[in-house]
Amino acid sequence: MIDICDLRYRLLHIDHLKIPRGITTIIGPNGSGKTTLLRLLAGIAVPESGTILIDGVPPRKTEAGWVNEFPDRNILFSIVYDEIASPLRFRHTATDEIPLKVNAVVKRVGIRHLISRKVRELSGGEKVLVALAAALVCTPGILLLDEYDTHLDGARCSQIGHLLSASGCGYVLRCSQNMETAATSDFLILLDKGNLVHAGDPIEVFAHLSGTPYYPLSLKVGL
Amino acid sequence: MRVSLDRICITQGNFSLAADGTFNKGVHLVSGAVGSGKSTLALCLAGMLPPERGTIQRSGIGSTMLSLQFPEHHVTGMTAAEECTSWGCEPDTILASCGLKGHNKTSPLALSRGELKRLHLACVLNNPNDLLLLDEPFSSLDCEEKYAFCTLIAHHTSNITIIFTHEQSVLPKFDRIWEIENGILHDRGTPPEALKTWNSPPPLIKKLIAAGKSPRNISQKDILEAACRT
Repeated sequence: MIDICDLRYRLLHIDHLKIPRGITTIIGPNGSGKTTLLRLLAGIAVPESGTILIDGVPPRKTEAGWVNEFPDRNILFSIVYDEIASPLRFRHTATDEIPLKVNAVVKRVGIRHLISRKVRELSGGEKVLVALAAALVCTPGILLLDEYDTHLDGARCSQIGHLLSASGCGYVLRCSQNMETAATSDFLILLDKGNLVHAGDPIEVFAHLSGTPYYPLSLKVGL
Repeated sequence: MRVSLDRICITQGNFSLAADGTFNKGVHLVSGAVGSGKSTLALCLAGMLPPERGTIQRSGIGSTMLSLQFPEHHVTGMTAAEECTSWGCEPDTILASCGLKGHNKTSPLALSRGELKRLHLACVLNNPNDLLLLDEPFSSLDCEEKYAFCTLIAHHTSNITIIFTHEQSVLPKFDRIWEIENGILHDRGTPPEALKTWNSPPPLIKKLIAAGKSPRNISQKDILEAACRT
């Protein structure tokens, strides 16, 4: 369980929130604090006050994988293989293990054909997939994805959804503006203006959002 | 007024895209998988990437506007007001229209990604163009902003508007649907007939078609109308 207590950081105020294992989607308008919450859970930012514990451990002592909405801001290396191998190299993984792990993850993500390409020549969606492979290559305890799906087509979104379910990561937290994706989550969080508005089972949360742009069209039409 | 592609071929390393067809007046959707070449085609239609083979004829096209996927790639102003001016727009009007009233002196790069995208789209859509190319205009917009953008597009007066996107949920009405598959641009035609030959429509539209309730177009209104049809 992720336990958030009396969290204060810039505009974000969450008095108490428990997030279960599985796939959690954070939704809300732009500027509501979604990315800020992900950054705090990743340990990229530290709360001004309050605590975040992931299975009793602070984020900075938890292995985290991070996928930015704009992968260019995170990608360090010019060749796809080197980028995906970098988390393994940084932790001094045995040289002969690295290609095995990289090949396994590119196969899972479906980007074997990109492995020798230059990152700057890739499309926005392909860069997201490279960032995802780099995040998954060490099987982190918590995986955080910031609106990754804005750059992916429907088939890829569906494929990545299945991949995340089978990723072996205890916690997958993602921001999304795709309410159809959000509806498939195990747990849903709605933020607005830095405040926690609703959290719980997606069907229960969406029941509060009927008549708003955040209500999934699939629920509206009963499909 | 039209843009005609005569058997063009664009090649970049191992990637190649072949396209043949005509974009007439109206709103066009170009869909395709990740890495299929949507952005490459947008650059080519804007005249920024010459095709290796074939020709592009722009009949009657006096002004062309390309909106890139990432709005920070367009930024030239040091402040939001300067950014508006650089697009030939009046700052106070534009900033108020996109919910950024009072941000005249804010650096565009200090805006949130959603705010910058709203500012960028407001500048791009402020004046009509003969050819308007929008590469992933929905990215970085929240649900409410996506619906607002669809309304803007419905009332926009550019002659030929081409939207390159894989947005799945919130879309405007389109006059023609194109699809890039296996390195080839396919003209799927006009809705609703185009929905029958569109190989990768949004999942909800696919479900409606399977249920025998094919929508007339792909906007939310069309989807709701189709779903309610008995």
